[in-house]
Amino acid sequence: MIFNALVNAALIAPPAMAFSLLFGILKFPNFAIGGYITVGAFAAYTFNVPLGLPLPLAAAAAMLVTALVVWLMHVLVFQPMEEHSAITLLVVSIALTLIIENVIRLFFSADVRGFEIPLERPWKLLGARITPEQVQIIIWSLVIGVALHCLLAYTWIGRAMRAVADNPMLAAIRGVNATRITAFTTAICGALFGLTGVFAGLDLVIEPLVGWNLTIPIFAAAILGGIGSPYGAIVGALLVGLAEEATILFLPSTYKIGVGFVIIAVLLLLRPQGLFGTAEIRK
Amino acid sequence: MSAYLISMGTYVGFFMILALALNLQWGIAGMVNFGIAGFYAMGAYVSGLLVAKLGVPVGLAIPAACVAGWVLGGAVALLSVRLREDFLAIVTLGVGEVIRLIVLNEDQITEGPRGLRIDGRPFGDLIGPELYPLFYLLLVAVCVLITYLVCERIRRAPMGRTLRAIREDDVVAEVLGKNVLMHRVLTFAIGGFFMGLAGALYAHYVQNISPEVFMPVVAMFIWMSVIVGGAGNNRGILIGAGTVMIFLEGTRFIGDFTDVLDAEKMSAMRIILIGFLLIVTLRLRPRGLLPEPKFNVKKT
Amino acid sequence: MKFSMTRRSLLAGSAAALMTPAILRAQEADIAIGSLTPNTGGGGPFGPNITASHKRVADAVNAAGGVLGRQIRLYQENSETNPETAVRAADKLISVNKVSAIIGTFSSSVTLGIMPKCQSANIIQMCTSSSADIPIADEKGLVFNFQPLSPIWGRAIADLVLSRGLENYALMALNNDFTRSMMDGFIERVGTEALVQDPFYYNAGQSSYRSEVTQLIEKSPEAVFIPSYVTDFTAVYKELYRQGYEGAVITISLSTGDQFKSTVGAAADGVIHGFPVPALSSPAYKEYLTEAGLEDTGSVQHPFGTAGRDQMSVLLLAMEKAGTTDSAAVAQAIWDVTTGEGKKTVYNVADGLAAIRAGEEINYSGASGSIEFDAEGGVLGRDFQLSEIQDGKDVVIQRLEY
Repeated sequence: MIFNALVNAALIAPPAMAFSLLFGILKFPNFAIGGYITVGAFAAYTFNVPLGLPLPLAAAAAMLVTALVVWLMHVLVFQPMEEHSAITLLVVSIALTLIIENVIRLFFSADVRGFEIPLERPWKLLGARITPEQVQIIIWSLVIGVALHCLLAYTWIGRAMRAVADNPMLAAIRGVNATRITAFTTAICGALFGLTGVFAGLDLVIEPLVGWNLTIPIFAAAILGGIGSPYGAIVGALLVGLAEEATILFLPSTYKIGVGFVIIAVLLLLRPQGLFGTAEIRK
Repeated sequence: MSAYLISMGTYVGFFMILALALNLQWGIAGMVNFGIAGFYAMGAYVSGLLVAKLGVPVGLAIPAACVAGWVLGGAVALLSVRLREDFLAIVTLGVGEVIRLIVLNEDQITEGPRGLRIDGRPFGDLIGPELYPLFYLLLVAVCVLITYLVCERIRRAPMGRTLRAIREDDVVAEVLGKNVLMHRVLTFAIGGFFMGLAGALYAHYVQNISPEVFMPVVAMFIWMSVIVGGAGNNRGILIGAGTVMIFLEGTRFIGDFTDVLDAEKMSAMRIILIGFLLIVTLRLRPRGLLPEPKFNVKKT
Repeated sequence: MKFSMTRRSLLAGSAAALMTPAILRAQEADIAIGSLTPNTGGGGPFGPNITASHKRVADAVNAAGGVLGRQIRLYQENSETNPETAVRAADKLISVNKVSAIIGTFSSSVTLGIMPKCQSANIIQMCTSSSADIPIADEKGLVFNFQPLSPIWGRAIADLVLSRGLENYALMALNNDFTRSMMDGFIERVGTEALVQDPFYYNAGQSSYRSEVTQLIEKSPEAVFIPSYVTDFTAVYKELYRQGYEGAVITISLSTGDQFKSTVGAAADGVIHGFPVPALSSPAYKEYLTEAGLEDTGSVQHPFGTAGRDQMSVLLLAMEKAGTTDSAAVAQAIWDVTTGEGKKTVYNVADGLAAIRAGEEINYSGASGSIEFDAEGGVLGRDFQLSEIQDGKDVVIQRLEY
């Protein structure tokens, strides 16, 4: 069960970190991430199956494509609407996910698809069953977590990203080009969503709703970890993974979809800043 | 044809009641509710179950559904006073989903995925089948009118001013001696009341409800109605609800003229168009088709 | 409120303006038929085949001069497998397009959801649905179900599986009426003592199925039975395989079509699936394959597409037979052209029309089965077939014939 939770967490952690970063800049919960993940899954599918690229290459290409899409959406849709309230933008982001999902349906139909890669039987390890694919997902997820941390903590651009998220005005005064930094952040996040699309395609199936199904667990992980805290997102992802696995012990499994919501609600009521976030000072 | 317009008019009526209620909660009082589908389901199932399982007269079941929505609204509002609005969005979405899951899973009571058949309907014995759809349209129109008048009354009354003050800055409102909590809970509950009403009217109209009807996308359409119409403006909301319904339904007719897109592609196209409606409206008319009128603030 | 009323009439007016050309187009002489299929949502994998079948039959009949000397005008709508959308689509089909029948509905909630509207407008419904409530709700005798009710599926699959000597099972079903009552039918036959644990349900659209699968195989049952749809079953099966389950995996053939096989690849081998089948050797099924441009693979293809062909064919034959599109007469004629001994068997609509015009009594035998209806409009027994995936192909391992 612990292992199940670990795989769930590895799947959710990278997009939760990306969501957290994106939230820092845009200041609203972006439901479009569901659409972005679906774009990643279908882009990787297109490169992998019809075009015949090996999966790692296809995944890289899909990350590029998704990064481009996310950046484009930001420039075309969200940037011109900056003056709107967070809630209006939230509704727009749901509309955007619906649009993306249906554009994909238009071109690919709702058929179930998979990558050109054989399913593997598990290794048995200390009573747990684990497949090489799952190990890869976990490792990649860790690598990304560490890389993202290094980027944010030790590089100039990472510091600039945090500065823009904290206080765009101050950052601008200090000579940070906020537009460029924002573009960079959206592209990084896009790449992560693209990768999540690939992982989701490996773990589940590729279909237009694949991203939407992951959205709530991702939100739960990011909120649990404290918005704006990529590390928190990893821990949050682990807890959400565990909670979903544990539900089945107490409740009929048909209630599982509700678990993410309940976690969010309970946590927000008890500790609105998340487990690892710092309390926000109200203006 | 006229039968179709009557039935679409009835559906627009459900949308209008929901959108007016949301406008009261969000447009006027600034409280987010993404759990509309849950309130709608609550109203539909409370009224439907009372009639279908307990044989309660429709005339009592519909008010009971309203009260259920009222209680749910109050409870959600109490739960959420501490939340930031963007988080409240997710929590209320969760409330809606949990209600749907309960309806789906507690099938001994709700019939779950089998769907609940409701034979009883208001004045079903008195009015012949020929005239019934028209009667129902009138009934729904009267309910829209009542909802509209109540919402408009609240908006114009001192309470509306207080709510707007809370919406703009709750701390200042609190400092000015307004009971912020009471106003919020009350407004959310009133919104819930009307959403419950819409659900009950829907249930007795279609006479067959199942959990699949109450997916979160319902909330999406209502939000679009409010944003497109103009948040804060009750008349704008009526237009918004109508516009969204025209896009939802009107796009069906494209399929009758062209064979280029099959039914699957056509329905993808329809959702894409509706999404664009929202984005384009916001780009061209950022505050909706009929923006909220500015209130004069007397400076002293 | 004065404003809103004028605006409402404005709305109505503009809606009417949108629709006017549609009315002008539908000529009085045409026979309007509505096709309401699940092209997206839960039934998404099956709807497009049904749509295409309806259209093919209608086009072919039109090219040959139509029915009752009139052309068929087919109006296609997507139910989105959602009763709310479906009811509005049915409203449009009934009031605007003036259809005389709505065919192709799939999930029971949609079939039942539009039934009040169809009954009050005296419209024939043809569906492939599972709920036992359908004949009860059909007070006017206008509904024809082209698919056996799902407990029958469960029982038939259980009978087939039992004869393979499997002794204990774990069960998990997708949480909808169709799959749940199928599971009940299965349990009826294998008996609760054969279950290693309580059966349970899961919802589609989850972010993972790991915990469900872990629970399912916890007691190492000899076999698992998972009534499901293709999207969720594919994800569930990947997980079963990854968790190293080696027992027999049994499901319905709906979930194991080409999409499933190409998605999981070689790992699909060994999956056992059952389904009410057309007589694969039946001429109607072979004709269907040609019409749809498919190769004969020996396995069931387009399970609902074949039913779509039969729905449209039966409807048109019945109209020709009845000599009118009046629903009561057509409903009666549907029994005439499908059910009963000693009539001329026809396998397609063209032959059927010719025979009726020549004054013969006919019995249509379809691509999805022999199509005989009971008094309640439910299709009588169809053959069931159990197949196993071997080398990426369905191999028939057992058949249950009626």
